[in-house]
Amino acid sequence: MAADSRITNALFSAIDELNDIRPQDQQLEKSLDTVLFGQDGKLDSIGLVSFIVAAEQKIAQETGRSITLADERAMSQKNSPFRTVGTLADYCSMLLAEGE
Amino acid sequence: MPVEFLLNRFEEAGDRPAIVWQDRVCNYRTLLERTRYWQEWLERGDIDRGTVTVLEGDFSPEAVALLLALTSHECIIVPMTTAVELKKKEFIETADGEVSFVLDQEDRAEVRKLSGRGQHELYDELRERRHAGLVLFSSGTTGKSKAILHDMVRLLKKYHVERHDFTTLAFLLFDHIAGMDTLFYCLSNRSCLVTLQDRSPDAVCRAIEKYRVEVLPVSATFLNLLIYSEAYKRHDLSSLKYIAYGSEVMLQSTLDRCAQLFPGVTILQKYGTTEVGTLRSKSRSSDSLWVKLGGEGFETRVVDGMLQIKAHSAMMGYLNAPSPFTEDGWFITGDTVEQDGEYYRIHGRACDIINVGGEKVFPTEVEDFIQTLDNVAEVVVYGEPNPITGNIVCADISLAAHEDAAECIRRIKRACAANMQPWKVPVKVNIVDRIQLSERFKKMRRPDDYAQVKG
Repeated sequence: MAADSRITNALFSAIDELNDIRPQDQQLEKSLDTVLFGQDGKLDSIGLVSFIVAAEQKIAQETGRSITLADERAMSQKNSPFRTVGTLADYCSMLLAEGE
Repeated sequence: MPVEFLLNRFEEAGDRPAIVWQDRVCNYRTLLERTRYWQEWLERGDIDRGTVTVLEGDFSPEAVALLLALTSHECIIVPMTTAVELKKKEFIETADGEVSFVLDQEDRAEVRKLSGRGQHELYDELRERRHAGLVLFSSGTTGKSKAILHDMVRLLKKYHVERHDFTTLAFLLFDHIAGMDTLFYCLSNRSCLVTLQDRSPDAVCRAIEKYRVEVLPVSATFLNLLIYSEAYKRHDLSSLKYIAYGSEVMLQSTLDRCAQLFPGVTILQKYGTTEVGTLRSKSRSSDSLWVKLGGEGFETRVVDGMLQIKAHSAMMGYLNAPSPFTEDGWFITGDTVEQDGEYYRIHGRACDIINVGGEKVFPTEVEDFIQTLDNVAEVVVYGEPNPITGNIVCADISLAAHEDAAECIRRIKRACAANMQPWKVPVKVNIVDRIQLSERFKKMRRPDDYAQVKG
């Protein structure tokens, strides 16, 4: 699934917001391949939560629609949507498509 | 000798592994030798019995040997890990520490003299009993940490009974009551304690696989992270027999998912507080949040929907706060519970404390800091439920003069991140026109408060 540019913009803008309060050596790269959480992930639990909250806010700003990224549904996915920026973008697209 | 029963068991255990630290195995014979070494060192050295001694380290062989030797030397021990680095000065001052042992990366101990004098009336009581003490820190209602003093001899009593021998992961911290419980449970059963340098899901799973860990004591939040990280898919966790969780309220959805992912593993709920220690507990089943609490030396009762505990091993008292016990010696936990016969279901803190992944955050503490920042008129800090960490910290702020909201939020978050522990930094900051106040002019932190006013 190709990521919608509005979603990519929103996620990159969430990365900017997170980088703003992270030390220089822990900056996240704005790339769909950036590993967020899990093996070799860049975020700890608090970082992941902050990123998800920022991403939800940015997506609402970009698309005018509100979605919930972390919930029981995300937890029950066979593959975690929080693996990389790309997998999260796909998961956002799916949620937005469902609401249409 | 309060630790002699443990040392006798170490002797019997001989070559069996006691502690795996930095991928090195220390057996019981070595641990016994190191404990004897420190016992003798303390006997001939210049540290008096009853000295308030800070022990900066983790579950390393030398730190454990020192903990035991200091206990037999009747010292008042203040364990401290790097997790509380920011609060170290405050903790040492509160405990009035006299001497400190600092363990380095190579597990070598360095002794440092501190400026404290080890004075407190509760310390005097302990010295009169000729018992060792243990000082642990928990959060206080005003945001200042409470220093909790235990009589080490009483605390160790429950470990005299031999129980099961399981290879156990030291996930919980060396300076927490639950971490101490893991340690003494292992030592008293001649079990192997596998320690961690990194508590990420992959590091935990790697340690389980490598050392065939059987018991995993963790927080509910960690189980969420384990599920999200999918680390369980990358490692062989077939050695696991028990997962014990505690320190915060567990979501039924997380528990169900764990029961599904680890069908052969018994999932147990633990319950304890720094003030009374860890109770023995029995979950109704692996997917049930109902739990039986008690064990020898513990009694429980519910008053006004809140759990109270009477414990033989309860703390002697706070060093820096009034006694929280009722007149007849019951500890008011502040946790609301439901009761069904012998079983309890714990619903969480009755007050405003925000539990972020097992770490308690007092709204007033965060408010106190934000309030000091430029252009902040009023601030209210509250928790919002979050499926990963249980809760997140949120702040509503009203400004004294107009300022661009986005820039102001960035500025406030940056200041919080630079000055607070990460879990205390508000994840959501909202700029509002004014802060909602109740009829009594109290800040309203919780949705219930709003509902009451609206209703």
